Amino acid sequence: MKQREKLFTYVATLLFIIILNFLLPRLMPGDPFLAIYGEEAALTLSAETKQELIAQMSLDKPLWIQFGAYLHSLFRGDLGYSYALNAPVSSVIAGVLPWSALLVGSALILSTLLGFVLGVESGWRKGSRSEKLILFSIIGISGLPSFLIGVIFLLFFAAQLDWFPLGGALTPYSDFTGLTLLQDILKHLFLPAMALSLTQLSEILLLTRASMLTNLSSPYVHTAAAKGLKPLGIRYRHAGRNSLLPVSARLGVSVGSALAGSLFIEIVFAYPGMGDLLHQALLNRDYPLLQGIFLTIAVTIILANFLADKIAWRIDPRMREE
Amino acid sequence: MLYKFWQEALEYKETIIGIILGVILLSLFVILPLFFTANPYQTSLNIFSPPNSKSLLGTNDVGQDIFSRLIVGGQNSLRVALGVGIFSTFLAVGIGVWSALAGGLIDNLLMRMVDILLVIPNIIIIIIISAYVSPTILLEIIIISLFTWLVGARVVRAQVLSIKERTYVYAAALFGAGPFYLFLKHLLPELIPLMLTLLLQGMRRAVFIEAGLAFIGVVNPNVISWGSMISQSLNYYYLDVWKWWLLPTAGALSLSLISLTLIGYGLEEALISSSERGKTIAADS
Repeated sequence: MKQREKLFTYVATLLFIIILNFLLPRLMPGDPFLAIYGEEAALTLSAETKQELIAQMSLDKPLWIQFGAYLHSLFRGDLGYSYALNAPVSSVIAGVLPWSALLVGSALILSTLLGFVLGVESGWRKGSRSEKLILFSIIGISGLPSFLIGVIFLLFFAAQLDWFPLGGALTPYSDFTGLTLLQDILKHLFLPAMALSLTQLSEILLLTRASMLTNLSSPYVHTAAAKGLKPLGIRYRHAGRNSLLPVSARLGVSVGSALAGSLFIEIVFAYPGMGDLLHQALLNRDYPLLQGIFLTIAVTIILANFLADKIAWRIDPRMREE
Repeated sequence: MLYKFWQEALEYKETIIGIILGVILLSLFVILPLFFTANPYQTSLNIFSPPNSKSLLGTNDVGQDIFSRLIVGGQNSLRVALGVGIFSTFLAVGIGVWSALAGGLIDNLLMRMVDILLVIPNIIIIIIISAYVSPTILLEIIIISLFTWLVGARVVRAQVLSIKERTYVYAAALFGAGPFYLFLKHLLPELIPLMLTLLLQGMRRAVFIEAGLAFIGVVNPNVISWGSMISQSLNYYYLDVWKWWLLPTAGALSLSLISLTLIGYGLEEALISSSERGKTIAADS
């Protein structure tokens, strides 16, 4: 796809998400105010506050004026107010973003590294018994939902064996600093990041493997072999390096699917990121928060796709033509 | 055509293992309930009971029989799987064929729509919609299907575009065959292997998404599901109940998914290899 078409797709996606977010509560049967704020929160509000909010969102006006008001508040960065947590949605979300970024980022790095090495080795040994076994088990594992892998990890490595903490991102009420703090963070991060990267592994492995198979039969690999280079060098410096191209081209998609998986993983491990917040919002029927989370996730994924395209185009100029 | 495709799919070990696993699961789910009957909704004071002769997997935190809930959860999973598999395949074929045959602006618009809907992972969109409508099974099938036909439609479109150019289709059109006749007689039979593959992959995706939705609790709480059973049992990880509550449920879900994944993989491989052979034949002639 050409750059301009891609850009169009992303802008249209953003518009689709905003419209979906706007319409969902307003299309629900009954009072839209209750659907926007959630019944529990709406009942606790005073009549004055309620009137003020209705005026602010133009809920007493036609739908297109409401949409204008909605867009207007969005562009000011106002995502609404969470009455369950008694804080603006944007600041609640900003508070959990670093943890989500840490989890998704480390899982992506882990799965890319591991998937790449396994993909290169698997392409190199195509058809051997050990290769088939690894491929077979990874395809099997990749079919499982992230929360299931998380639950199994939690049950065995945390609850039964007690090697890792049961949940959270930090030991509560501890005032660790420096290295002990870092150690504490890593200890809490390990299981969720492992579980998440395991679900992302197969995609990268299969991509690397497929491109490895084409690369291994190309003339430059034969030349490298004829020059007498060591197999390890051919595998990684020549064929492997080029096999990274399709992986980099799919980076945006990987970010999206890792983020989606992290929502579930965070619920399992009570890891205080977006997924955990989403869970709380669902339990509290905190609709403004729910919408804010949805929008933030969507914008993050669109931005990640956009940046990933830029990187891929930089690495491989041929991509621009496609 | 279908028979030949099936033969080819069975050459992959994955397909055979997947089918055997699926048959074992299905028969367990048919045979065991004959011996252990209980009302899956009935609560009792007998909570956290370990497995015994009356209830195969004991009882949960409100004294409901876990085994019968496992069975009903499986049936619901299967319902959603079949519903989504059929509906999303139908959508994929309908829109893929329409796009390919209409061409021009319609083709452009439809494929652009697919691109747009594919940017955000479908599970995220399905979660937010479900959070508002709290769907029961039928609604769940519709919501999941509406966001899972996309890749299928692309593949169907590509396939139809290539079939459309074959000589015998031109010949039929030359002899006066109308578009409807061409579709039924020449397009549809060629699409059947692809449809079967899409069906299996759609079923797998449905089981996967259904469990996830129930796990985070956005489906109607009255619907018994493996996903919600896992999330409920996780609250009691410190008791021994996970052994007969969480483990069998997680096992049933994983094995069903692995079975569907393997069959889907085998079908896809067979599809790819037969289409590659088609290409080489076309190149030769």
